[in-house]
Amino acid sequence: MTAPFLHINGIRKTYGDVVATDHVELTIAEGEFMTFLGPSGSGKSTTLYILAGFQDPTAGDIRLRGRSILQTPSHKRNIGMVFQRYTLFPHLSVGENVAFPLRVRRMGQAEVTEKVKRALKLVRLDGFEDRMPARMSGGQQQRVALARALVYDPPVLLMDEPLSALDKKLREEIQHEIRRIHQETGVTILYVTHDQEEALRLSDRIAIFNRGKIEQVGTGPELYAGPATHFVADFIGDSAFLAGELDGIAGDQAGLRFADGTRVAGIPLHGAGRQGQAAELMLRPERVELTLEPGPQGRSLPVVVEDMTFLGNNTTVSARTGWGAALTVRLNFGHPLSAGLTRGDRLHIRWSPEAAHAFVKG
Amino acid sequence: MLLDFDKLGSWRWVLCAICVAMALFLLLPILFIVALSFGSSRWLIFPPPGWTLKWYGELFADPRWLGAALTSAKIGVIVMALSVALGLLASLALVRGKFRGRAVLRAFFLTPMVLPVVIVAVALYAAFLRLGLNGTLPGFVIAHLIVALPFAIITLTGALETFDPAIEDAAILCGASPWEARLRVTLPGIRHGVFSAAIFSFLISWDEVVLAIFMASPSLQTLPVKVWTTLRQDLTPVIAAASTLLVALTVILMIAAALIRKGKSE
Amino acid sequence: MPATTAPRLRGSGFGFALPAILLLLAFFVIPVAMLLTRSLTEPEPGLQNYITLLGSTTYAKIFFNTFFVAGVVTAITVLIAFPVAWTLAILPKGWAAVLFAVILLSMWTNLLARTYAWMVLLQQTGLINRMLMGLGLIDQPLQLTNNLVGVTIGMVYIMLPFMILPLLGVIQKIDPAILQAAALCGATKGQALRRVLVPLAAPGIASGALMVFVMSLGYYVTPSLLGGTANMMLAELIAQQVQSLVNWGMGGAAAFLLLVVTLGLYAVQLRFFERGEAG
Repeated sequence: MTAPFLHINGIRKTYGDVVATDHVELTIAEGEFMTFLGPSGSGKSTTLYILAGFQDPTAGDIRLRGRSILQTPSHKRNIGMVFQRYTLFPHLSVGENVAFPLRVRRMGQAEVTEKVKRALKLVRLDGFEDRMPARMSGGQQQRVALARALVYDPPVLLMDEPLSALDKKLREEIQHEIRRIHQETGVTILYVTHDQEEALRLSDRIAIFNRGKIEQVGTGPELYAGPATHFVADFIGDSAFLAGELDGIAGDQAGLRFADGTRVAGIPLHGAGRQGQAAELMLRPERVELTLEPGPQGRSLPVVVEDMTFLGNNTTVSARTGWGAALTVRLNFGHPLSAGLTRGDRLHIRWSPEAAHAFVKG
Repeated sequence: MLLDFDKLGSWRWVLCAICVAMALFLLLPILFIVALSFGSSRWLIFPPPGWTLKWYGELFADPRWLGAALTSAKIGVIVMALSVALGLLASLALVRGKFRGRAVLRAFFLTPMVLPVVIVAVALYAAFLRLGLNGTLPGFVIAHLIVALPFAIITLTGALETFDPAIEDAAILCGASPWEARLRVTLPGIRHGVFSAAIFSFLISWDEVVLAIFMASPSLQTLPVKVWTTLRQDLTPVIAAASTLLVALTVILMIAAALIRKGKSE
Repeated sequence: MPATTAPRLRGSGFGFALPAILLLLAFFVIPVAMLLTRSLTEPEPGLQNYITLLGSTTYAKIFFNTFFVAGVVTAITVLIAFPVAWTLAILPKGWAAVLFAVILLSMWTNLLARTYAWMVLLQQTGLINRMLMGLGLIDQPLQLTNNLVGVTIGMVYIMLPFMILPLLGVIQKIDPAILQAAALCGATKGQALRRVLVPLAAPGIASGALMVFVMSLGYYVTPSLLGGTANMMLAELIAQQVQSLVNWGMGGAAAFLLLVVTLGLYAVQLRFFERGEAG
C-alpha cells in the first residue's frame, strides 16, 4: 500500500482548556481540491495554520508523501498560501511581489523573470509587473497573491477564506478563475471557507468542520443527499427541521410522532435511536410539494397557510403544522396552486422518499 | 452648529481673531530673532538701523561654535541610530511578543518622557561622576538616548501596530526565514515610522539642553550648551544668528517629515 | 480560536526588549533610585533634608513660585487653547493646515532660541516696552524679565502646543450632529457651548491641563533664563543644590518631592481617563 499524498493524522490542538481541533483525520489525494467548510471557531483555520507551520499541534502528525513535515519550519515547508487579508508586500511592485519567493531561493534573474511572467499570465494579470499593490483592487491583489503562492510550484496550496473581503459578484468571478487555475496547474488545494455555496462550487471534496472535529467528508452531492449528521444536513442546503420523537423503527427507516400526535413514517434514520427518543425530521424545501391531498405511506403532513410572498420565479409560502411549527415551501412560477392560495387554507406537504431524513437528538 | 464653520455666524470672526492673534504670538518671536540676526545693532534695537551678515561671520569664525555644532551632530546621529535600533527591538517585543506584562513594560519605557528632565539629569550626573562619563561622548549619547527612546518607541509601536502581521507570515511561507521576513518585508513596510522615529530622535538629541548642561565639560559641549552659557553672559546677536540656523534646520526637518507623511498616504 | 495566526517571534519575544530594559535600568532606574537614597543618607541618615525643605520659608517661597506659575500658565493656556483647538477642528482644510504648521514650527523650534527671543523682547529696552511707551500706555519701562511675569509669558509660549494638540484630538472626535441636535432642541449658541461642547471636551481639557501643569512644575530652562535667581522654581533648586552647593542630600530630597508630585498627578490623569472612557 502506498502512503497517501497528504495525510492529516489525528491532529489535536488545545489552548489551555480550549480544544481548537480534536483528532482531525483526513487524507488528500495529489491534485485534489479539498475544502474545509464550517462556522468560525470550528477548527478549520487552526488545521490550516498547523499545515502552514504557524502553530504546532498538541498531538498528531502531518505527512506529505509519507514524510512528517511538523519538524520543518514554515519557511522550509515549500507550501503556498493565500490569506484572508491582503498580504502583498506594500513596498514592492506586483512583479517583485511575485518574484519574492524566487529571490529568497536565490534564483537567477533570467529564470525569475520567466517564472514571474508565467505566474502573472496564469492569473490573467500579465503586464501588471510594475504596478504597486496599493493601486490595485482587492480582487486583483488576491490574484497577485495567488500568483505569488504558485510561482515556486509548491506541492500544496493553502487558501484561508481568500475571497471573504470581496463583494459577491467579484467573488464568483474569482472562484471561476481558481477552478481554472486548479485545472491548469494540477496543484493540490486546501481551501478554507464558511460559505457553503463557495465550497460546493469549487471543491472535489468537502470536509465539514464543527467544534474542532470533522463531521463528514465527501463530494458535494454526497453530502447533500446523504448528510451523516444533523449539523451537516443543516449546513449544506437550507432545510426545515421539525422536532418530534421516534415512533416505530424498522431497520434504517423510522416513523416520527409530533406534539399533537401527527405521525409520519418511512424516513431514513441517521444514528442509533430507541423508540420514544427525541428526533428531528429534516426536509429539503425544494423537494417538498404543497398539495390538496395527503401523500402515500405517511410521507406527508397537514399544514395551514400563513403567508405568501411573491419573489418572481417562485412564490414562497409560509405555513404552520398542526402543532404550530413553522416551515416554508416554494411554488414555482405558474404552479397551479399559487394563484388561488389564501391565508388559512388547509393543505398538505408531501415529499419524495429521498428528500427527508430523521436525526436522533443529542 | 458650533462644529460647522459656515454656520457659526459672527462667532467665527471672534474665533478667527483669537487664532490669528495666537499664530502671531507663536510666530513673531521666531521671525523677530531671524530679523535680529541680520540687524546691525549689537544692542538688538528693533527695527534694526541697518542690515549685516557680521554676526554670522562671528559665528563661523569662532571655532568653539563650530566645534559645539559638530559635537551635537555627532551625538545626534549616534543617538538616532541607537534609538531606532533599540526602539525597533523593543517595539517588536511590545507589539508581537506574547509575554505577560506588556502594558506595564510599555509604561516603563515611557517613564523617562514623563519625569522632569532635571531629575534624570541630576541622577545621571551623579552616576556619571562615579563612572567617569561626564564630559565624554558616550555620556552624552547615553543621556540623550534615555530621553529619545520613548519617542522612538511610541512612533515605532504605532507603525508596527498598523502593519498586518499576516504579511510577515506570507513572506515566511514564501520561503523567507523569520529574520529575512522582518528585514525584507516588515522593515520596509514600516519605513515611514522608522524615518519619523529617526528624525524625532535626532531632533530631541540636537535640541536637548538640560541633560547636556550637566554632562558638558569645558572641552566637550553641545550647541545648546554653548548657546546656554553664552546667553547667561549677554544677549549677543551671535545667538540670534545661531538660533536662526537652528530654526532653518527645524523647518527643513519638518518639511522632510511632511514629505514622508505625504509619501505614506500615497 | 486566535484571530491572528503566526508565532510572531521565537519564544515569547521578551528578549527583544532586553537591550532597552537594561539601558533604562542601568542609566535611569538605578541612578534615580540612588539619588533618592542620598536624600535620606546625606549628610547623615535621617529625614532632616525633608524637614528643612518643608519647614523653612525660603523653600516655601520656591514651592509657592513653582505651583503658582504652573497654575497660572495652565489657566492661560487652557483659555487660549480651547478656542484655537475648536477653530482648528472646523476650519476649512487649507487654513487649518497653515495654522497647524505654525503650531508645529513653534513647538519644534529650539527651546533656547525661543527663550532667547523672549529675553530680548521683554528686556527693559526691548521691543515690547518700547512699543508700550510709544503708544503712551506707560511712562517707565516695565520690569518684564528676571521675575515671574517673564517666566509666565515664556512658559505659556512653550506650553501652548501641548495644550492645543490633545484638545484638538478630543474636539475632532465629537460628532457635529450632537451640536446640531442641541440647536434643534432650541439651545442658543452660548447654551450649546456651555452645556454641550465644553462638557464634551472636558476630558481633553482636563488631561491637557494636567499635562501642562505637570510639565510646568518640573521645567528648568525657561524659569532659570527668564526668572533670574531671585525667583527660583523647584527644578532650579534641584540643579543649584547639586551643581553649585554640592548638597546631594537636599538635591535628592527636592527631586523626590518633584517626582512624587509628578507621578501622583499622572496617576490621577490615568484614572481620570479610564473613567472618561468608561462613561
